[in-house]
Amino acid sequence: MSPDTESAAAPTRRERNIYQPIPMTVADRRDETVDVRTLRLEFPDDAERSRFFEAYRVGQFGIYGVPGEGECVFCVASPPTRTEYIECTFRKAGRVTAALRDREVGQKITFRGPYGNHFPIEQWKGRNLLFVAGGIALPPLRSVIWNILDRRDEFGKVAILYGARTVGDLVYKHELAEWEGREDVDLVQTVDPGGETDDWKGKIGFVPAVLEEVAPKPADTIALVCGPPIMIKFTLPVLAKLGFAAADTYTTLENRMKCGLGKCGRCNVGHLYVCKDGPVFTVEQLKAMPHADM
Amino acid sequence: MKILDASKLSNLAETLAGAGYRVVVPVEDGDRVRYAEWTPDATIRTDAFPVNSVKEFLLPRSEVIDRYQLDGDDFTPVEVSPAAPRTVLLAVRPCDAAALAMLDTIFNWDYEDDLYNARRAATTVIPIVCTQADAQCFCTSVGGAPDASAGADALLRPADGGARLILEPLTDKGSALVEAAGAALADGEAAPDAPADVPVRFEPEKVRAWLADNFESDLWDILSYACLGCGACAYACPTCHCFDMQDEATRTESVRLRNWDSCGFALFTKHAGGHNPRPDQAARWRNRVMHKFSYIPERFDLLGCTGCGRCARLCPAGMAMLEACTRIQEEARKAPAHES
Amino acid sequence: MDLATLRRDAAALLSDGRARLVIGFRERAGSCVPAFVTDAAGAETLVYDDTCTANLAAYLRKPEIRHRRPVALVARPEVMRSLVLLKAEHQLEADDVVILAVGGDTYHGVLTIEETERLLNETYADLAPDEAVLAEIGRIEAMSPDERARFWSEQFAKCTRCYACRAACPMCYCERCIVEKNVPQWISTAAAGHGNYAWNVIRAFHLAGRCVECGACEAACPQGIPLMLLNTLVAREARDQFDAHPGYDAEAEPVVGSWNKDDDEEFIR
Repeated sequence: MSPDTESAAAPTRRERNIYQPIPMTVADRRDETVDVRTLRLEFPDDAERSRFFEAYRVGQFGIYGVPGEGECVFCVASPPTRTEYIECTFRKAGRVTAALRDREVGQKITFRGPYGNHFPIEQWKGRNLLFVAGGIALPPLRSVIWNILDRRDEFGKVAILYGARTVGDLVYKHELAEWEGREDVDLVQTVDPGGETDDWKGKIGFVPAVLEEVAPKPADTIALVCGPPIMIKFTLPVLAKLGFAAADTYTTLENRMKCGLGKCGRCNVGHLYVCKDGPVFTVEQLKAMPHADM
Repeated sequence: MKILDASKLSNLAETLAGAGYRVVVPVEDGDRVRYAEWTPDATIRTDAFPVNSVKEFLLPRSEVIDRYQLDGDDFTPVEVSPAAPRTVLLAVRPCDAAALAMLDTIFNWDYEDDLYNARRAATTVIPIVCTQADAQCFCTSVGGAPDASAGADALLRPADGGARLILEPLTDKGSALVEAAGAALADGEAAPDAPADVPVRFEPEKVRAWLADNFESDLWDILSYACLGCGACAYACPTCHCFDMQDEATRTESVRLRNWDSCGFALFTKHAGGHNPRPDQAARWRNRVMHKFSYIPERFDLLGCTGCGRCARLCPAGMAMLEACTRIQEEARKAPAHES
Repeated sequence: MDLATLRRDAAALLSDGRARLVIGFRERAGSCVPAFVTDAAGAETLVYDDTCTANLAAYLRKPEIRHRRPVALVARPEVMRSLVLLKAEHQLEADDVVILAVGGDTYHGVLTIEETERLLNETYADLAPDEAVLAEIGRIEAMSPDERARFWSEQFAKCTRCYACRAACPMCYCERCIVEKNVPQWISTAAAGHGNYAWNVIRAFHLAGRCVECGACEAACPQGIPLMLLNTLVAREARDQFDAHPGYDAEAEPVVGSWNKDDDEEFIR
C-alpha cells in the first residue's frame, strides 16, 4: 500500500482546492422579467466577505452553483462599493439556471470568485462615461454604473442608452426609474419597434439606430457596450462613426466557461482566454481577435 | 554507473513496489501495450509504443473535485482527500515525460491546482531512451529527441545491444529512487545503444508563422474533412488537458466531477443561448492545431505537442497532427512571403 | 480489385459534375485512411483493401460534406446498407449520393442508391456475421449471469468515453446524443462504472434494427473493446424477433419505431 503524502499540518482543503466554492445565502430575490431573476447573496461570514471585497474589481465574474445541478458563470452585477452583499442577474436557460432560480430566500447556493479582469475605472477618473446596453446584457454594465454613481464626484458626465426587445424585457426597471430621476445621469431608454406599450415614454427603435440619432459626443469619453452579438455588431460601427476611439471603447465577452481559472481550455478566443484575459476587452483588442472564433 | 539486465526490469518494479512506490510501467494488454500499475503477473514491454499516455496518473479521466451531503435544499461540503501516492512512472517514453511541462504549466497558471500538484509532487519520472521509432513519431520536429531528458528525474538507457539498461539519476527524486532500488541495480559499465533516428519533418516556427496569417484559409476545410469529432486524440494526447465539470447526485449526496473533455466535440464551446463560436469541425480542428502550435507558444513559450504520434496511430479517421503540420509547411512554402 | 477503373470512374464523376466530392480511401503509413478528393487528378490516390474499415457513410452527417453534394462514396456492402438505411430514415435524398460499389475483390461500378439497393438484394443478401464473433457470443451466452456481468464490467472499464464508436457510426446522427442531455442526466458522464456500462449498452440498444454490422465502431475504439459482440447479438435478436434486415429496403420502417400486430411477444411474461 503506498503511503498518502498529505501531512497533518497542511492548509485546509478550502484554501488548497481552487475549485471548492463557498456557500452563500440568498438574502433577496427579485424578478426582473418573466424569466430573468436577480439574487442578492450574502457571504457565510465576515472573513469570506472581506476576502472577496479585497479582491473584487468591477467587471469581474463569479461562478454560481447548486450542488447536484452544476455551476454557471455570470458577472457580479453589484459594485465593489456595496460591500454587504453581491448580486447576480440571469435568465432561466437550462438545468443550473432553473435550479438557481428556484432557490428561496434563506437557502444557499455555492459561489467562487471573483475571476477575470476588470474595467480600469481608476484610469477613467474625471472622464465622461457612455453606457450602451441591450436586454439581458445590462447586468455587467449595471455594476459599473453603480460603481461610478457611488463615487459620482470622481467622474464626468454619465450617459446611459439602454434598450430591449419589449418593455417587459427591460431589466432593473426600478433602477432605470431612479436613474431617470437623477440630474447627474442622462438616460435614454428604447424598445424595438413593436415592443412598446401604450404608456411607453421612451424611444422606439433598435439600439444602434437610437445611438446614431442621439449622437453622443466622443470627447473625453469612455464608452462601454454590452449586448447580444447582433447588437454589438451594429453598435460598434456607429460608435466608430461618431468618433469614439477603439481603445476607449469597452465590452465584455461571454463565452462558455467551466473552471473560470484558465485550465479547462474552452473559453479561448484565439490565444486569449475570456476567463483570464477577459471578460473585459477594448474594441481595439476585439478587432485583433479572430472574428471566426467568437 | 547503475545498471540492470533489461530482462530484470520487473525485478526493479517489484523492488520499488516493495519500497512503497506505486509503479507505473508499460505492460502487455492483449495485442497492445499500455501504461498501467505494475502487478506481479504483468509483462513489461519496452519494445512497443503504449497506446495511452501517463496523463491519467496525474489527471484522472474522471475525478471527484467536490462532494456535498444533501439534506433537502440544504447542503454541507464533505472533505475530499484525493490520494497522491508516491508514484514512479518507469520506462515511459521521453515524449511523455516532456509533455509534463505543459500540464505543470497550465495547472499552475496563476491558480495552483493542488489536486494535480499533490500527485505531481509525489511522482518520479523515469523515461527510457527510444532505440526504435515509427512513421508517426516526430519528437525531433518539436524540440524533443528520443533520448531527451525533459521532465525526467532519472533516465533509463538501453545498452549493450539492448541486453542491459543504464539508470542515470538526474534529480533528487531520481537519486532517492536509485537508493530505494537497492540491489535491483548493480554497479558496472555498459555501452549505451544509439537512440532511434527520428528525422525532422517540419519546423514549428514556419507552422506558427503560417497559422498567424491564415485563420480564414480554405485549407482548414481540407485538413479537417476526415475528422469525425470524437475525443480519441485529445484523450490519448499527453499534453491535452481540457476538462469538463459535471455535477451528479443522489437524493443524499452530490459530487462535482472533473472529466476529460475534447475541443473536437461539437458541444465543447456551445453557449447556453445557442451560439457556437466553433460550429463546424473545421473551426474545431483549427482551434486544436492553433492551440498547440500558436496559442500555447504565445502564452507559455513552449509547444503544446511533443510529437508522440498517438493521435495518428489511433484516429479512426486517419487524422494526424504530423500530417497537418507538414501540409501547413508545404502550404507556407507555396505562398509568397508577405508583411504581417 | 480493378482499382484503375474505380479511379477512372471517380475522376469522371468529378470532371463532369456528377459528384463534387469523392470520399474513398488513401494509403498512409501502411494502412488505409479516409480520403477526400475534390479534383479529378486526386482520384489517382484512391486505394482499397481490407484495412478500409471506416464506414464512410458517417461523413454525410457533417454539414461541410453535405454542402458538397452530390457526394460519391466508395462503399462496401455494409456501407451500401448504411446508405440505403439513411435514406429509409430520411437522412438523405437519392440525389445526394453516388456509390462506387465494392464487395470482396470486386469493383461493381458507379451506382445510384436505387441500383445499390438492387445489388444488395441480388448479391449481398446473406451477409453472415464473422464466425469467430458468433463463437465468442456463444461462449458468453453460456456463462452464468454473474460471469457475464464480470466479463462486460471488465470490458467497459476500459471505456474512456471518447465516443469514437459513436463518431464512426453513420447511424449515430443525433444532434444531441442521449449522453449529452442533462435534464435529466440519463447517463453518468464519469468514465467509470455504471456510466460506462449504460453508455455502451444504450448505444447498442439505440442501434437495434439499425446496425448493419459494419464493424467501424470496434475498429475505431482506441481501447479495443469488443463492441461487435454486443452489436452482433442485438442485430441477431432484431433479425430473429422482428425480421429486421436494415439497409436492404429504402422504404422499410424502423424496427423500434413501428409496430406489427404479428410481432413476437414471447418476451412479455
